[in-house]
Amino acid sequence: MSKYQVDKVMREVILDMKTANAFKADTEKFLAGRDLTEEERNALIDIDYATLYRLGAHPFLLNGFTRLVWKGDRAALNAEYRKKIAPFGYPDFST
Amino acid sequence: MAKLVEIMGITHSPNFPGQIAGPDPEPAIVEAARDYELMRKRMAGCRPDVLVVIASDHLNQFFMDNMPAFLIGKAPKAEGPFPHELRTFGIAPYRADIDVDVARSLLQLAPKMGVDFSFSDEFRIDHAFTVPLNFIRPEMDLPIVPIFTNVMAPPIPPARRFYELGNALRKMIAELPADKRVGVLSSGHLAIEIGGPKEGRSSSDPEFDRRMMHLVGSGDVETVIEEATWDRMMASGNVTPGFLNFVLLMGLADGKPPSVSGVRFPKSKGSVPYMAWDVEAGVLP
Repeated sequence: MSKYQVDKVMREVILDMKTANAFKADTEKFLAGRDLTEEERNALIDIDYATLYRLGAHPFLLNGFTRLVWKGDRAALNAEYRKKIAPFGYPDFST
Repeated sequence: MAKLVEIMGITHSPNFPGQIAGPDPEPAIVEAARDYELMRKRMAGCRPDVLVVIASDHLNQFFMDNMPAFLIGKAPKAEGPFPHELRTFGIAPYRADIDVDVARSLLQLAPKMGVDFSFSDEFRIDHAFTVPLNFIRPEMDLPIVPIFTNVMAPPIPPARRFYELGNALRKMIAELPADKRVGVLSSGHLAIEIGGPKEGRSSSDPEFDRRMMHLVGSGDVETVIEEATWDRMMASGNVTPGFLNFVLLMGLADGKPPSVSGVRFPKSKGSVPYMAWDVEAGVLP
C-alpha cells in the first residue's frame, strides 16, 4: 500500500487546475512512474473512490479530488458516495 | 511587557459566510451571525495591537512530506486563502502584515517553556485563517502572528499537548519584550465529517458538540482532555480534531472557564460555536 502516494496525487490535482486538467486528459500518463500498487493506480484511473477510501486515502482529500475530476453525473455521485463507502467504515488513513 | 487582552475561539467553516449572505438564512444561521458580530465587537473593544491567530492548514501546503505539529509563520505578510478555496467556496480573501518581531520573540521564548515550534518564511493562510479573520477583523488593519497546528494528518498531538501549548503560549506572551496588547483568535470547529459515510449538512454528532461546549464552558479541562481522544473524535466525525484548537485556548486561559460561550445548531451546516475569555476585565488573574 502506498497511501502517501495516493494522497499526493489527489492533493496535486486539488491544488492546481492545470494539474487537474492534465490528470483528466490522460490519467495513465499522469500516473506513470509513480510508486503506486496496481489496485491504487486502477482506482485512480477509474475514479473508484470507494476503493480509494477502503485503501485508506485521506477522506478530506478524497472528497475534494472526487468532486473535481468526476466525469459522470454529479447528482448520482452525491447520491451514491456515502452509500458506496459506508460498508468500509473508517479505514486508518494515517500514512 | 506585552499584555494578553482577549482569547477567542470561533469556527472556520467556509460555507458559513455564504449562508449568512444568502437569501433567507435559517434562524440558527442568523443567530450565529449575531453571535459573531458580538465577538467582533468584543475583540475590537479590547484594542489589541496584534492578533495571534491559531488555525490549521487543510493539507494545502503542510503535507505528509514535511508535516509540522506546531508552526509559527514569520514572513512579513500573510495572504489567503488558496485559489482552489476561492473557487470552491466563494469566500473573501484576507491580507495582513505579520508582526515579525512578536513572531521571532515567540520562537525564541518557546524552548524554555518546553515548546519547539517549527517556523516558515514563505506560506499562505488557508480558509481556517481567512474566514475567522474576516469575521473578527474585517478591516485587515492589525498585524497578525499565525500559528499553524496539525489537526489533519495523523498522528496529531493529543489534547493534553494542545492544552500545554496554550498554557506555554500564555507564559510566552507575558514575557514578550514589546509593550503590546495581544489578542488571540483560534479557529476550529466541533463534530464534522467530510468525505466519510456520516457526511451531511448538519453536525455529524450534536451530542459531542453539546457535551464539549458544556465542558469548555465550565472550564473542565481534565474531562475535555480525557474525552477528546483521537478515537472519540473520529467516532464523532472524521475531521473533528479541529476541536483541539479550542482545547489550546483552555490552556491559554490557564484552565479558567470562558467569560462567554455558546453554540448554535443549524440544520444546514455544522454547529457554530463561540467562546471568549475577557482577560483584561478581571475575569482572569
